[in-house]
Amino acid sequence: MVIIGENIHVIAQTVSTAIREKDAKVIQDLAKAQAEAGADYIDLNVGPMKKDPEENMQWLASTVQEVIDLPLSIDTMNPVAMEAGLKACQKRPLLNSASGKTDSKEQMLPLAQKYNCNVVISVITDKGMPPDVDSKIESIMDTVAYANELGIPNEDIWVDPIILPVSTAGEGQRFAVACLEFIKILEDVLPEIKSTVGLSNVSNGVPNELRPLLNRTYLVMLDRNGLYSAIADPLDKESMNLIKGKVPEIVQLIYKTMDGEDMDLSSLSPKEVEYVKTAKVLTGENLYSDAWLES
Amino acid sequence: MEYKAPAEAYTGVVREITIGNGKKSLKIGGENMLPFHFFDQGSNPNPAKFALEVLDMEPQDWPEHLTQPFKDVIADPVKWAKRCEELGADAVFLRLVSTDPAVKDSSADGAAAMARKVAEAINIPLIIYGSGDDKKDAEVLPKVAEACDGMNLLIGPVQKENYEVVGKALLDHGHNASALSPLDINLLKELNVKLCKFFPAEKIVIDPESAALGYGMEYSFSLMERVKQIGIITKDNMTMMPIIADLGGECWKTKQAKENKEQGLLWEGITALSLFLAGANIIVLRHPETLSLIKKTTEVK
Repeated sequence: MVIIGENIHVIAQTVSTAIREKDAKVIQDLAKAQAEAGADYIDLNVGPMKKDPEENMQWLASTVQEVIDLPLSIDTMNPVAMEAGLKACQKRPLLNSASGKTDSKEQMLPLAQKYNCNVVISVITDKGMPPDVDSKIESIMDTVAYANELGIPNEDIWVDPIILPVSTAGEGQRFAVACLEFIKILEDVLPEIKSTVGLSNVSNGVPNELRPLLNRTYLVMLDRNGLYSAIADPLDKESMNLIKGKVPEIVQLIYKTMDGEDMDLSSLSPKEVEYVKTAKVLTGENLYSDAWLES
Repeated sequence: MEYKAPAEAYTGVVREITIGNGKKSLKIGGENMLPFHFFDQGSNPNPAKFALEVLDMEPQDWPEHLTQPFKDVIADPVKWAKRCEELGADAVFLRLVSTDPAVKDSSADGAAAMARKVAEAINIPLIIYGSGDDKKDAEVLPKVAEACDGMNLLIGPVQKENYEVVGKALLDHGHNASALSPLDINLLKELNVKLCKFFPAEKIVIDPESAALGYGMEYSFSLMERVKQIGIITKDNMTMMPIIADLGGECWKTKQAKENKEQGLLWEGITALSLFLAGANIIVLRHPETLSLIKKTTEVK
């Protein structure tokens, strides 16, 4: 799986300060650490970047590329910053992201075509977020058809079904299941298409110490269903080990849980039990609560 | 070929809970089918019960058409509770509203003594609720539990902020716990998981919070529906408990119910009927005429 390192993100105070003060070291250290940990892309998430978008984006992209040799994912909703970022890339970048909303179709998708880059396209449209698998597929087929007409081929498109927090009262688990299902059938409806997700959103709102477990388990589940890439934390060693096949026993346990196999939990180690319980929450088999490991 | 209607068989069973002892007891829960799915397999041995609410002090904001049936007894919770029994309630629901720091902040000991008097005076089971102020309830409810030691009452609300201290007292003195969470299935399950670490699941009733018609009732409805589905269909151990719908107070707070009697009765009646259909196992009402109205409606064969 292709990992897009998420750690250069303006929501982090250190990152936003570093960009404002042009502190190259902070940014470069984050980029290097992710590259060393095995990231395939480095995401530069600058948010709307209202102030000096061109200059800031240009600085950020070149600062990162001074120390690493990976392609960049330019992550902003500001088209001016986006274009500046894409222009500054030495390797073929990823435009992160476009959607089926009119302004995105008019401003972002043409940039993907102009700079001949890979592009993340989410299932969101002017009507909002499609809630279930069928409506997600319907929306993405429309937007992909539009992108094709602009000259962007399927193999350059990374579809994002939009992961939502599993802890959202009542609905969260249904969303988690819908995204799993979406990834599973995507290849059949749109051949050659790629996919990506913003992984950590699945654990938004969950007690901090429990978030990595949900992220890791969900990543393995999505991976099994054919997910091509994920925006995730490459510094989380356990995630990286899981998707690189270094802990096959855990992966197998998660697969068995997905298949609804009955398992004798008493024969498993505490860590294995945690993975099984977490997978059961993400398949919707067990009702979510913050105490999901305790029951 | 003969047509045979498909009938679901479920694996989950809602725990059956007894409130009170001996002749002064009633059972709720025990069903192994979704509410009113009589066309499926399974049964509901204990149709929903209805309690009437009594306050431990003279009500301050009740409209005249609500206090009227209790006018002569309303200053005396014991007599008021007996009146409820005469009026055909399956249980009395005593709310210790005077203990609320924002009301009278009356003492835990006084409330406990009052609770015991009421419990002894009536021949039907008693449900006791604190004011809902989690800190004060942590003082009041253990005293109540102790004063009513061994009576197997249903006491609440046990909330995430006070479940440890209140739960322990209920356990020590042999009562059932009513576990209240704010209209959220995930939080509801979490509270049950935590409570069950030391408290028997067989003695827990779920209070998912009941909103009145026009004030969010549909949220309560779908939440109750969901609790039943997850318990009955997927056999989730932490939702297979009976549900209490504490709705009278919510209904009589509304402008519509306060405006006039007929509207009030219908407001409470429609809310009660709706949550009854959603699967509530015990329903708390305020007006005795709503009680007879809803009993008449639900007992139609």
